[in-house]
Amino acid sequence: MSTEHPISPSPDPPSIRWAQRLILGLFFALVGGIVVWIVHLIRLSWRLRDVPSASVGISLVAIPVFLILLGVVNYVFWGLRRGGKENR
Amino acid sequence: MSSSETPRQGDGALFEPIGRTTSAYYLTVAGLLLLVGWGVASYVYQWVYGLGVTGLNRPVAWGFYITNFVFFIGISHAGTLISAILRLSHAEWRRPITRMAEVITVVVLGIGGMNILVDLGRPDRALNVLLQGRYQSPLLWDATSISAYLTASTIYLWLPMIPDLAMLRDRGRRWRWLYGVLALGWTGTERQHRVLNRAVAIMAVMVIPIAVSVHSVVSFVFSMTLQPGWHSTIFGPYFVVGAIFSGIAALIITMIVIRRIYHLERYLKPVHFRNLGTLLLLMSLLWFYFTFAEYLTGYYGNEPEEVGIMWSKFNGPFAPFFWGMVIANFVVPVLVLSFWRTIPGTFIASVTALIGMWVERYIIIVPTLSHPLLPQDVWAYLPSIIELGETVGSFALFVLMFAVFIKLFPIISVWEIQEGREEALEVTTKRILSYLPDESLQGQT
Repeated sequence: MSTEHPISPSPDPPSIRWAQRLILGLFFALVGGIVVWIVHLIRLSWRLRDVPSASVGISLVAIPVFLILLGVVNYVFWGLRRGGKENR
Repeated sequence: MSSSETPRQGDGALFEPIGRTTSAYYLTVAGLLLLVGWGVASYVYQWVYGLGVTGLNRPVAWGFYITNFVFFIGISHAGTLISAILRLSHAEWRRPITRMAEVITVVVLGIGGMNILVDLGRPDRALNVLLQGRYQSPLLWDATSISAYLTASTIYLWLPMIPDLAMLRDRGRRWRWLYGVLALGWTGTERQHRVLNRAVAIMAVMVIPIAVSVHSVVSFVFSMTLQPGWHSTIFGPYFVVGAIFSGIAALIITMIVIRRIYHLERYLKPVHFRNLGTLLLLMSLLWFYFTFAEYLTGYYGNEPEEVGIMWSKFNGPFAPFFWGMVIANFVVPVLVLSFWRTIPGTFIASVTALIGMWVERYIIIVPTLSHPLLPQDVWAYLPSIIELGETVGSFALFVLMFAVFIKLFPIISVWEIQEGREEALEVTTKRILSYLPDESLQGQT
């Protein structure tokens, strides 16, 4: 994908840009919700003294995975937006 | 490839399924909707009258629904895992098949998860997982890993589609607004290409361990119990191997059907089927090795409960399923693919492998539950028409969602085909020359 590419003008009207922001916002909400859910389960197991180490151990893997996924989507969203302004 | 660039004339065939809808397509969709409707009606009936309308009982509390769940989650490995491995290993022949594989993954993951909700009987009980879940339970590991896999697979499907979505947006087709939103302002600049390449590479690396973890965790639902026939240390890799095996089979069948219907012979060539056939053969041998190791260990240990279940599979009521599975998963694929890695050959092997893998899931689940540890007779499980309806509905939903995807998006990655044409030859030549000991050849590119 490193060859010279002709550039098309930015085609996105405001409604499309708002919808794109909405998708990003929903993705933040999804990942945020999952992180809050996992933290809730840790608190619950802690409060009930119900092997909290299992919850902590799994969350140490699960939460970073979701945060990395959020990071990738965020990177693509802003990266493409900035990249689209190049050569314009 | 720029978004404004018109695809090469030859690649117009890749957009044809979106622009042209035949009466056969509408008929197929109508038929599928009927079957999905049967599944929905079965579910509504079960919701109203409870799980008593199924063949599930005590102790056989898991039957068709959990078999479907494990089967569909297994097929999901088609996609993302195979696509990611081929992408990371720079296998150039991957280009026309990765999109199909990724779509299969996303669709079947959703259907697999849906089967869990159906099995719950009362879907409101899913809230208990959210509110009172316990992370000691492998069931919750499942919920977490499948959520991660579905999220990652959806992103991994979407990102490599962005340049194609921009093409569709710029061609002014129907759904232009949708394409515009999903294309994220792609205009084809160098910087955008860099960003997208980097993100796709990160996702390809990420989805492999997530995919492996998903089917390992699905196997842990069984192996973490002390049930004979389930409590096995090799269940994780055994399930992963079976999942990749069924995933490749599903991918081959999909490719053959799509190739035939949309006349994509220029893109899906015999070499693709030969390569995937080799992979399928390898996975069939691996599957047999794991099955042999699993059963031999149990047989040699000679624990009465373990052996009782085993004999019910070898020459008892489950024998037709067991030997059918061995024939479908090992005998037919190995015989056919050893000598006949053609399109018809891979099709036959894939169909038998898919059937065999569904049966394998069934005889892992049901025989163990049919032999409870408490002293009582062997229990029979016979699925009801409700379970059959929901199973047929699940399969029909898979095909329907795939058919809808084809109507909206290119099923073969257009920009990756074009990129392959423009750059892959040079890149591959350089790579091959770098393997060779003769350094003087390296200046030839």
